Amino acid sequence: MATTEIRFSGSGGQGLLLSARILAAALARQGRNVAQSNAYEPVSRGGLSRSDLVISEGEADFPLARRLDYLLILDAAGLGVSDHLLSPRSLVLADAELVPDPPRGDFATRALPFVETARSLGNPRVTNIVALGTLCALSGLCPPEVLLDRVLAMTPAKFDRLNRDAFAAGLAMAVPEPV
Amino acid sequence: MSATIRNLEGNEACALGAIRAGCRFFAGYPITPSSEVAEVMARELPKVGGTFIQMEDEIASMGAVIGASMGGVKAMTATSGPGFSLKQENLGYACGAEIPCVIVNVMRGGPSTGMPTRPAQGDIMQARWGTHGDHAIIVLAPASVAEAYSETIRAVELSETLRVPVVVLLDEVIGHLTETVDLAAVPETPEVWRKFATGPREGFQPYAVTEDLIPPMPRPGDGYRAHCTGLTHAPGGFPTQVPEVATAAVTRTTDKLALHRARIESWRVQDAEDADLLIVAIGISARAARQAVRDLRAEGLKVGLVRPVTLWPFPEDALRETVARSGARAVLVPEMNQGQLVLEVERVLAGRAPALRLNRIDGQPITPDEIAAAAREALT
Repeated sequence: MATTEIRFSGSGGQGLLLSARILAAALARQGRNVAQSNAYEPVSRGGLSRSDLVISEGEADFPLARRLDYLLILDAAGLGVSDHLLSPRSLVLADAELVPDPPRGDFATRALPFVETARSLGNPRVTNIVALGTLCALSGLCPPEVLLDRVLAMTPAKFDRLNRDAFAAGLAMAVPEPV
Repeated sequence: MSATIRNLEGNEACALGAIRAGCRFFAGYPITPSSEVAEVMARELPKVGGTFIQMEDEIASMGAVIGASMGGVKAMTATSGPGFSLKQENLGYACGAEIPCVIVNVMRGGPSTGMPTRPAQGDIMQARWGTHGDHAIIVLAPASVAEAYSETIRAVELSETLRVPVVVLLDEVIGHLTETVDLAAVPETPEVWRKFATGPREGFQPYAVTEDLIPPMPRPGDGYRAHCTGLTHAPGGFPTQVPEVATAAVTRTTDKLALHRARIESWRVQDAEDADLLIVAIGISARAARQAVRDLRAEGLKVGLVRPVTLWPFPEDALRETVARSGARAVLVPEMNQGQLVLEVERVLAGRAPALRLNRIDGQPITPDEIAAAAREALT
């Protein structure tokens, strides 16, 4: 069964599980089937955090990630753990500041200023929403307005303005890489 | 998008399925990786007039569930391996006294406290034989979030109609997996209840032998005098050690499940008709097998899958017939333990086809690629 597989990885507290849950909710609204599995360890802050989405038409045969299409790395804590899931079909999106040495190989890797953009908007906590915008634009998995609708529905209303700006900045970042 | 389509976690689906089937009592003691069942029950049960109690431990939780059920309420608890072990004494009472109840067991690494956050499938035998003595019990093994929902509904219904404890056996992966589920896929049906006693109060026999071998239960307040005990009891409900009466009492409870086997057993088959190799698996291992079968078929290899949804009583005729019809040369049993399901498969096949093992006990799920590799090796 054809699947699209995405991993959100980084450090605990970066909102990775929430981002994955938001994207999963948007995709379910688009009629896709989504399987989400998360790193599940006895830690609450810091350390590796990850969440995987396996997207399919109908229930996935195997609901866990096997070959990633998109790997998001927002912190060096996410380094090294996903390399075996990378192949020529993968696109790695790494934060330019917190992930100094992202995986490189027979797949595409892009270093993008997710954290810096969030900080310039006034709150590094929206790094995950910036990244969600970029992922949305690069993957074409769902219309941006559907995803933004879920971002606003699944986060506190007092952050609506900030999240809108973060999402828009993320979308704008998804321009083709200069040659 | 329909309002019934939701992204649900396996544990959450168990809780929602139970409530939909009419469960209105939950007593539990939180334990990883099952705690979300209790969390959702604590949130949702009060909304429907139900009762949630966090008890002092697992033993008391099982006792409270039995008491609630005897009081006329559909009742459930949830736990993981260590807690399931603690519940076994009271679970035996529920088996002996034929008290309807549902126990969700989300399997983690063991023995003892083992690896609390890591998946395993090491309770396959504990679910069947964890409590002592000859006893009837049903164990259902969902392999998806959709099935965690539908099978928990079925667990409540089987438990009620057959007066038997039913275990819903998940592994940590399925318990914590979120999948897109259409809740409306389970058709709306009238709520199922146990058979309540009717007729004269005088001379009422709480364990009367009926044609369907299911004694009607007295509804509290209806005025029936009934004695209930874990001691081996005669149809009148009082303890007995008269050899033939004791034999009949225990035999009726096991015969009961044999008599109603057709409505208890459930299994799924994929690409089995012409299979040279059949895989038998449950839970997340079955999902890996499903992918492996698809990959192997694409390579031209004739491999199929038999997935018991009802784990106990094991759907043995289905397996025997599927193996016979396909002419499979061997059966491969991937499971996250040192080999438990394979023992039952070997018993059922009794040498008709060799049962090959594929095991992991390192807290990691078995992958489709591992199963495919084992299958290729078996076929060469």
